[in-house]
Amino acid sequence: MIRAPLVKALGALGSPTHQMASRAVRTSAMVAQTPAKAPEKIEVFVDDIPVQVVPGTTVLQAAAQIGVEIPRFCYHERLAVAGNCRMCLVEVEKSPKPVAACAMPVMKGWRIKTNSDLTRKAREGVMEFLLMNHPLDCPICDQGGECDLQDQAMAFGSDRSRFTDINYTGKRAVEDKDIGPLVKTIMTRCIHCTRCVRFASEIAGVDDLGTTGRGNDMQIGTYVEKLFLTELSGNVIDLCPVGALTNKPYSFVARPWEIRKVSSIDVLDAVGSNIVVSTRTNEVLRILPRENEDVNEEWLADKSRFACDGLKRQRLVAPMVRMPNGELQAVEWEGALIAVAKAIKAAGGQIAGISGQLADLEAQVALKDLLNRLGSEVVATEQGFIAGGTDNRANYLLNSTIAGLEEADAVLLVGTNPRYEAPLVNTRLRKAYVHNELQIASIGPKIDLSYDHENLGADAALVKDVCSGAHAFSKVLEGAKKPAIIIGADLLERADGAAIHATVAEYCKKLKKPNWNPFNVLQTNAAQVGALDVGYKAGAQTAVKAQPKVLFLLNADAGKVTREQLPKDCFVVYIGSHGDNGASIADAVLPGAAYTEKQGIYVNTEGRPQQTLPGVSPPGMAREDWKILRALSEVVGKPLPYDNLDELRNRLEDVAPHLTRLGQLEPAGDAGAAGTISKSIGGGAIDIKLKELRDYFMTDAISRASPTMAKCISAVNKQQRENEAKQSVAI
Amino acid sequence: MAGREAVKRAVQQVRPILSVDREEARKRALNLYKAWYRQIPYIVMDYDIPMTVEQCRDKLREEFVKHRNVTDIRVIDMLVIKGQMELKESVEIWKQKGHIMRYWKESQDPKPTDFLSKFIQGVN
Amino acid sequence: MAAIVRFNLLTKPQIVATLPASLHVQRFQSTQAPPPGTPPPQTKTKFGPLADEDRIFTNLYGRHDWRLKGALKRGDWYKTKEIVLKGADWIVNEIKTSGLRGRGGAGFPSGMKWSFMNKPGDGRPKYLVVNADEGEPGTCKDREIMRHDPHKLVEGCLIAGRAMGAQAAYIYIRGEFYNEASNMQLAIAEAYQAGLIGKNACGTGYDFDVFMHRGAGAYICGEETALIESLEGKQGKPRLKPPFPADVGVFGCPTTVTNVETVAVAPTICRRGGVWFASFGRTRNSGTKLFNISGHVNRPCTVEEEMSIPLKELIERHCGGVTGGWDNLLGVIPGGSSTPIIPKNVCDDVIMDFDGLIAAQTSLGTAAIIVMDKSTDVIKAIARLISFYKHESCGQCTPCREGIGWMNKIMTRFVKGDAQPAEIDMLWEISKQIEGHTICALGDGAAWPVQGLIRHFRPEIEKRMQLHAKRVSN
Repeated sequence: MIRAPLVKALGALGSPTHQMASRAVRTSAMVAQTPAKAPEKIEVFVDDIPVQVVPGTTVLQAAAQIGVEIPRFCYHERLAVAGNCRMCLVEVEKSPKPVAACAMPVMKGWRIKTNSDLTRKAREGVMEFLLMNHPLDCPICDQGGECDLQDQAMAFGSDRSRFTDINYTGKRAVEDKDIGPLVKTIMTRCIHCTRCVRFASEIAGVDDLGTTGRGNDMQIGTYVEKLFLTELSGNVIDLCPVGALTNKPYSFVARPWEIRKVSSIDVLDAVGSNIVVSTRTNEVLRILPRENEDVNEEWLADKSRFACDGLKRQRLVAPMVRMPNGELQAVEWEGALIAVAKAIKAAGGQIAGISGQLADLEAQVALKDLLNRLGSEVVATEQGFIAGGTDNRANYLLNSTIAGLEEADAVLLVGTNPRYEAPLVNTRLRKAYVHNELQIASIGPKIDLSYDHENLGADAALVKDVCSGAHAFSKVLEGAKKPAIIIGADLLERADGAAIHATVAEYCKKLKKPNWNPFNVLQTNAAQVGALDVGYKAGAQTAVKAQPKVLFLLNADAGKVTREQLPKDCFVVYIGSHGDNGASIADAVLPGAAYTEKQGIYVNTEGRPQQTLPGVSPPGMAREDWKILRALSEVVGKPLPYDNLDELRNRLEDVAPHLTRLGQLEPAGDAGAAGTISKSIGGGAIDIKLKELRDYFMTDAISRASPTMAKCISAVNKQQRENEAKQSVAI
Repeated sequence: MAGREAVKRAVQQVRPILSVDREEARKRALNLYKAWYRQIPYIVMDYDIPMTVEQCRDKLREEFVKHRNVTDIRVIDMLVIKGQMELKESVEIWKQKGHIMRYWKESQDPKPTDFLSKFIQGVN
Repeated sequence: MAAIVRFNLLTKPQIVATLPASLHVQRFQSTQAPPPGTPPPQTKTKFGPLADEDRIFTNLYGRHDWRLKGALKRGDWYKTKEIVLKGADWIVNEIKTSGLRGRGGAGFPSGMKWSFMNKPGDGRPKYLVVNADEGEPGTCKDREIMRHDPHKLVEGCLIAGRAMGAQAAYIYIRGEFYNEASNMQLAIAEAYQAGLIGKNACGTGYDFDVFMHRGAGAYICGEETALIESLEGKQGKPRLKPPFPADVGVFGCPTTVTNVETVAVAPTICRRGGVWFASFGRTRNSGTKLFNISGHVNRPCTVEEEMSIPLKELIERHCGGVTGGWDNLLGVIPGGSSTPIIPKNVCDDVIMDFDGLIAAQTSLGTAAIIVMDKSTDVIKAIARLISFYKHESCGQCTPCREGIGWMNKIMTRFVKGDAQPAEIDMLWEISKQIEGHTICALGDGAAWPVQGLIRHFRPEIEKRMQLHAKRVSN
């Protein structure tokens, strides 16, 4: 979609389409701002019930205000209005023909009839037309049971078919398209609502989908067959009101009514997207997004949605202990716990713990408590952060908040690629770019963010330039109403990370506005913020430096610790769900639960604690992570004082009360480290780990175990090979 | 005097199930015991259980002795009623062999209560 | 498409609100003095034939030089400067007085439409877009103007543009009109060179540009919003209204889309006066009009005639009559393919103007008269039209995309008679389900021919079904 400034410049004259889109976009923003002037409301009548609405409200929204839902296919709150399905036609008194409720702004005194004969007839007619060329293969359609077309045909359709031409020429058939390993297309079912097209161009920022052909031959597709490769492609499945776009890995797996649904939280990135885990017979079948206006709206990134098949692969199902011959052998829990306890006793307090990417807060608290009881203070997160910067919460949070970023009007990205590190933060930035004249610049390698931005260069010294106010972009930041600087979490692992952090933090104090904190760190690990909040040190090297005799790896799979760095006799205990880097160097492997199998709190990058709920039980002999630590503590003879989750949460409340207020955000103060930190930023290029789409799919133990993610990577590679081949032919 | 009144009221307030005094309850229990005692040979035969009549009578005694400390008349009555129901079900062959054999089933392991045992057994 | 361009404009509430007001005024004109811009009452009762000196398009048949020199000789660009200098209000008032109604099909009063553009500006430029995407089967009037009298259009652009305060005019020409586009482009170039348009057009101090844009050959691009989309470089798919082009049109700026003929007659109206123009035709149907007569007539032609001329007189006088005589007439499609057909008994005394044809349950459209004599297979003729609409439907909205395809399937069977009589009613209902339920008027345009057919030729369809049934049973 083009950027919207022109239309926006029209102000009140502007198209209702845009007004509505921006209204949907920025409800939260409107609430936050003081109501400058309340526009005078006008009265309309929906089914003879008077409704007061703001001018510019559409018929559909006015009806929704009194709970009258008008059927629709193409209309979607978060997308531009297309008005092409004609399902929302309603009668308006004194109007000779029915009006499209989704697009028509109400006029004063209109009497809208959502259930009159004319309205019902119009709906029935549209329904008949839609079903005329729809294959009606509902029994073998994956959308069956959760299909808008099915539901609305029941509610508004005719009770019989009069499509006599089924006996002559039959229905339209459309060839299916291969748009990648995630989205399955059955294009014959398509009703041409163009929601997917609009999503791709407006939200995802990838103009890959479009319509070709005309009239009855119109098709949705990519024109030249290619893959619909974006990190948000899965959302078109949810948007598709029929079964034309379905979940490929989930195809023919289950019917919606067999499924048990559990509301949970995604942990594969640090956004903390709200999800619904669909399970059947103790198996996670698919993951869908759950609406949360503050976090993920109603979208979900592909990794979070499709990596769930990794929950069934590479799982640790029994405790294992490394035998003298070097093999890991499965043992009973007693044996494993005793083996670990022996090592702990022998270590005499020289113990350390490293918490990884997917560890839940409960386990982190339990690990810290256990180690403290055993006389060790060395607990660290696997991912690094600046030294001494973890005392102030604002130092490592996305202080502008995810929802807040869409109000920003100038953003500087330093060493981060939000598109792949946090796709749903990137959609907010893109939304601000489209609707809010957001100006974006980045320091780091050249990347494609799905919207235009200025790449200032990759040199770290640029950070200093900008923050001293000398750079051209400084003027933009200083002139902005809501500026924001976002630092990538990985960047701060650099040697001069602390200096970059301090420089930016200092500058942000200058940029600060009332109720607006411009300093942001974009975390990539779901466990990072929680760990730092409960007092973990940052960086695996902290633990390595202590040269422990026993090292606990709590879900630490990033491979930052190697055997070579540890003392020869170090006993490594791995607690986690997948056999990955951590388990391979461990002397004892204690199988833990994955995020769909436990109730655990995760704190997202903006500092919002949210909890997962168990959808299935842990496989085999795997146990919830904190219980493993609790059991171990008893075997060691230093039992932890909590036997159940409530007691553990009470303990957590003592440590960090703000983390038990689930879903709520605790504002942090100004960023800035205590003490003096050298502000000399060494030169050298800033690099980003996730540069391209192929880097995005496998970033943690679960997604590395996922066959679907592997398919995605090979699809991206294949596409690139083909493109290169085409280019070389062209040359 | 007042205490007695209270007791009297309390006794009066409780409606008896069947028996009005201990003696009657005792009789009922004995009758039930006798009825079972007499039926046991037939039960053994009908259900073809791998138990002797003697073993069954020992079990019968055991079941009654289990409740020897019950003094509340209403509870006794209720137990008697349940016993009668059991008897009726057994005699009329409403039960199956397994139901009869369940009298000899070893009682289940008590659920673990401490954290570690629960953990190792994998129960919540 | 030109014929159905602005039907739906008529029904939009904000215009409906304004329309009755002017009618209201007319109704009471006898008691009080009419406001400026009211056409004088018509006193004539007989209309046509048009005298030669009253013809606006004097080079309709290309017998004279179409270039600037010839155009000047015919009176084009005469006193254009004075007209432009008289200002927007004067021009709009003159057009209002003339009673000119849009020649693209919907017949919306042009003066009123142009005056919508004269709202106080908000800094955005305004544009005039000339709809030269004449794709309606049967219609061939705009092409005659563009290839033989292009300067009329260029001059019209300047005057109409001045009337609405536009900065530039875009002439969107149908892709298939190669020669027309070529002549048009030459005429524009000549006008630029002569200083008639461009900076300081005609020496009036008014800057006005004219651009020409060739379409790629889609009927739907003749719909005003689809035309705007196409002009912007997008797929030619109609936009939702509101916002109307007068608010948000081409490139997001206020725009008026008008037909070629409407624009081309404007200079002459301004020169000869609105009252002169209003002296032709019945009240509310004033003016002269280009009629295209094609089909089963002895001499098919395009001719400028007075409005309200009886159909029979038009055909007899200019086309040498229906082949095989008037009695051999089967029916007439009076306003381009999207208007309902009328049978001979209606044709006998129908009057060719907006109101006269609406009374006959059809429409003047673009005044493209398709004559069919008794040798015509009328069902096949309408089926062919539906197949055209099926092919040209943009596919954006459901009723049109699915419904016309379905109607086409049914009509194909009706041609053979391979259907049940009950399906005629079904077809009628389907056409009613399409009509008025779509984004643009193409759906209506496809539904009307079918409705016309069923209304007047139902026995014909039934007869064919019986024949087919008999053939099959044998």
